[in-house]
Amino acid sequence: MKLRAVSETLNACSGCEISILDTGERFYEILNNIEFLHFPLLMDHKSCIKTNGKKESELPEADLGILSGGIRNEEHLEIAKEVRKKCDIVIAFGTCATHGGIPALTNSYTNQEVLSRYYSTETTDNTSDYPDKDVPPLLERCYALDEHIKVDLYFPGCPPHPHHIYNAFISLATGKIPALPEKSVCDVCPVLKKGKIDSKNVKRFLAPPQYNYANEPLKDMRCLLEQGFVCMGPVTRAGCGGDNMIPRCISARVPCQGCYGPASFNGNQRLDLLNALASQGINTGSLPNTEFLLEFSGAHNLLRPRIKLVRK
Amino acid sequence: MPDKFEPKIIGFLCNWCAYAGGDVAGVIRAQYPPNMRPIRVMCSGMVHPDLVVEALKMGADGVIIMGCHIGQCHYQDGNSKAMARVEVVRVVLEDMGIEPERFAIVWVSSAEGKRFAKVITDFTDQIKTLGPNPLRKDFELNFKRV
Ligand code: SF4
Ligand code: SF4
Ligand code: SF4
Ligand code: FES
Repeated sequence: MKLRAVSETLNACSGCEISILDTGERFYEILNNIEFLHFPLLMDHKSCIKTNGKKESELPEADLGILSGGIRNEEHLEIAKEVRKKCDIVIAFGTCATHGGIPALTNSYTNQEVLSRYYSTETTDNTSDYPDKDVPPLLERCYALDEHIKVDLYFPGCPPHPHHIYNAFISLATGKIPALPEKSVCDVCPVLKKGKIDSKNVKRFLAPPQYNYANEPLKDMRCLLEQGFVCMGPVTRAGCGGDNMIPRCISARVPCQGCYGPASFNGNQRLDLLNALASQGINTGSLPNTEFLLEFSGAHNLLRPRIKLVRK
Repeated sequence: MPDKFEPKIIGFLCNWCAYAGGDVAGVIRAQYPPNMRPIRVMCSGMVHPDLVVEALKMGADGVIIMGCHIGQCHYQDGNSKAMARVEVVRVVLEDMGIEPERFAIVWVSSAEGKRFAKVITDFTDQIKTLGPNPLRKDFELNFKRV
């Protein structure tokens, strides 16, 4: 019998679902093993939210619930709970769902700050009127899924690589727990590492890195972190390269931004990277700010609005 | 309310100086408040910032790392490493909405029983002035990891 699956998109950009389609021809093989009963983004379905006073949502029961995106408003919360209720296995699909993802950068600001910034630019007329009818109210902050519902499988990646999506869906269909890479991006990065950062400062990636000629193989290019650029490889989960494993950004000679979330599940990407730098004697004060190190994992209370310090 | 508030403070004490200093404080019967829960570690340099941040995130009202004076670390430069990380922890705490003053690092030698008592007393007072950790309420009400 085929595995029955439902999918819902929460606080997400739909890139994760596109990545499912990016499995290409192997998508047919997935379809031979998994039957999608409900998939608003790919099929002619409405989201399972209860509208027009309906008592029950129309979400069918299923084996697999695939949720992309974190939880930012009450609609997301209701859908997430509904999927949890109807599905045996819930997958947090993509870094937004596992760690908040890019949208969780909002956690550095209060809702009030976000709304006033958004609705009071120079060109907006009624600066005080935030829409409050027919839009779902915001929750206090942007949450990862597991802050509200129990999650059975975590699938980080922004978006998860199609190779791993294929492998994982096929293993689920054959009754196995999917195996995902557990190393860090550095562990699978082919560049030349000498174990020492050249400068006392690190900088953001505003100038090109050093390498000798256009097609120089990666194994001859010096590690970008050792060249003094902030590279999140040491604290980020591997997997973006799919089956051949070479990290995607590095293969374009660009430092890793950390899109697969922390290397150890409960890690704090910013703290762990800064700690590693500080312990090596690098002056981390040379960075203009460090919030961007949590660009992909600001949920779980890791980013919060700054407090006003009470000094007496 | 401020009178009733009894802070929970986590202390990471290095085995060779601070923890021994605490023993001396006991031997000379120095008085200090009971709010600090000591955790003995081999060196202040082995306290990963994650531990400090995690403790505060879970609702501790203060965290104090205590080690040997600079130059006297039994593993040569563990305490200098710990010192280098302090700024990092402060920055991260600030962005997490936790007052950086809830975290302190001090050096106490194995002979400084009196100083040990004074450090703990002062830090406890400092935390009492700050009040309960803002995440404490949050932790109990909204922050559930299942
Ligand atoms: S994880 Fe990335 S691709 Fe997926 S929904 Fe979030 S932002 Fe989009
Ligand atoms: S370039 Fe980045 S990912 Fe590659 S080894 Fe260096 S730090 Fe790690
Ligand atoms: S190198 Fe880093 S940022 Fe780039 S795709 Fe891989 S995990 Fe994501
Ligand atoms: S042994 Fe005491 S600080 Fe290193």
